[in-house]
Amino acid sequence: MAAQPAALIVAGVFYLMVTAILAGLWRAAADASGGTVVGYTAAALVWYVATSEAATIALPPRMIEDIGNDIGSGTIGVEMLRPTSVLWLRIATEVGQMLPRLGVCVVVGCFFASVTVGAPPDGAAIALAAPALVLAIALNIVTQHVFASAAFWILDAKATWFLYQKLVFVTGGMLLPLEVLPDSLETITKLLPFSAMAYIPARLASGHFEPELIAIQVAWLAVLGTAAHLSFRAGERHMTSTGS
Amino acid sequence: MMFANDAIWVLFWVLVFERVDSIRGWDVDDIIVLMAIITTSTGAVVGLANNSRRVSELATTGGLDPVLALPVHPLRHLLSSRIETIAMGDMLFGILLFAAFGDPSPSRVAVFVFSVGAAVAIVGGFLIVVGSLSFWTGRTEAGDLGFQAIVLFSIYPVDIFSGVTRFILYTVVPAGFITAIPARLVSDFDLPLALAVLGVAATAVAAGWTTFTLGLRRYTSGATWTQP
Repeated sequence: MAAQPAALIVAGVFYLMVTAILAGLWRAAADASGGTVVGYTAAALVWYVATSEAATIALPPRMIEDIGNDIGSGTIGVEMLRPTSVLWLRIATEVGQMLPRLGVCVVVGCFFASVTVGAPPDGAAIALAAPALVLAIALNIVTQHVFASAAFWILDAKATWFLYQKLVFVTGGMLLPLEVLPDSLETITKLLPFSAMAYIPARLASGHFEPELIAIQVAWLAVLGTAAHLSFRAGERHMTSTGS
Repeated sequence: MMFANDAIWVLFWVLVFERVDSIRGWDVDDIIVLMAIITTSTGAVVGLANNSRRVSELATTGGLDPVLALPVHPLRHLLSSRIETIAMGDMLFGILLFAAFGDPSPSRVAVFVFSVGAAVAIVGGFLIVVGSLSFWTGRTEAGDLGFQAIVLFSIYPVDIFSGVTRFILYTVVPAGFITAIPARLVSDFDLPLALAVLGVAATAVAAGWTTFTLGLRRYTSGATWTQP
């Protein structure tokens, strides 16, 4: 569905609206505070929000709820009949479906940022931002499966997506660079996996050449991939033994 | 859930203004009032008159069939026949936010109530206009998209925008009249501005009523054999 032209256009328009608003806000904030906010110039902030928004708007907001519904309704039970891993087949499918949507957001975002503030602040850093965006999407999808796996036991993940979305908004750095937060909160949020879903690619795109950030994403992908694997395996066993 | 969502946005603004004293004349106190107005007014519209978001769906799926037989104007019945309790959380949040952090002196409370009333009329009128366009264009997501757009733009002070965007926010998507000007009125009341807001509110209500009534003439029920 995500690859349908109409859906891609709607995603692109919505992404452009949100990015334009946040970029306008942060540019005005930089103007009001002498040209920079927590070390980010107006141009860096525009490239930051263009990237952080792409990393989140490329994904459907209620994916956790959809996965939970599939678990609760028994759809997953049918998928378990296939001779392959339910979890990894789903993740591969979701990542594949999201890539065209991410591509639209990236194209629109690069055009918008280039027109409004010029070229990316750092060529090498923006080159790193590209794989970081894909890793961010993959990590987000894997983590949503971890959260949604609660539905194997409670048969419902409706409220979970809402909490998860807000965690990505603020502690993930989608709305603001994490450096804007008070120092203690900044330290904590950078230790959480949500920062790898929006902040890291956005930090790179805003001109900070920090390759070690990619390593952090890969590490989180390994940790949460393992968590998703274990929780789905336990959940599938629970489903098999109880028939629920 | 609505409380958590609204609180996140308030937290966002508080964090921004921890780093920047003011943005184009807006400080954290102004933003608190702006957030109180948008959450109270959208909560009231969606919570108390939920069908205002569903006009497009009702107009294209036969949802108006049972309403047409009633001895009242269909729009009046629609707006009073469906509530959504979850959205009322927004309304409660906005009222509590203003009561706790909006410096609620009697004069500010009076202007706040006036502002929320005007915002309710503008948001409701806008939703009915975009939803009623489906009488001509067929089923669209116009109601939802219109709602998302108006909320999206209304939670930011219009002064951060310039040029065409700013013009749009005072015309096509009248977010400026829903929160930005009313929030200014609460802190610094100005009669001509208040009358302008009142005029826009009356225009929005009239536009919603007219568009719906004209569109109703094209309504052809939900029976499948009458569909083009």
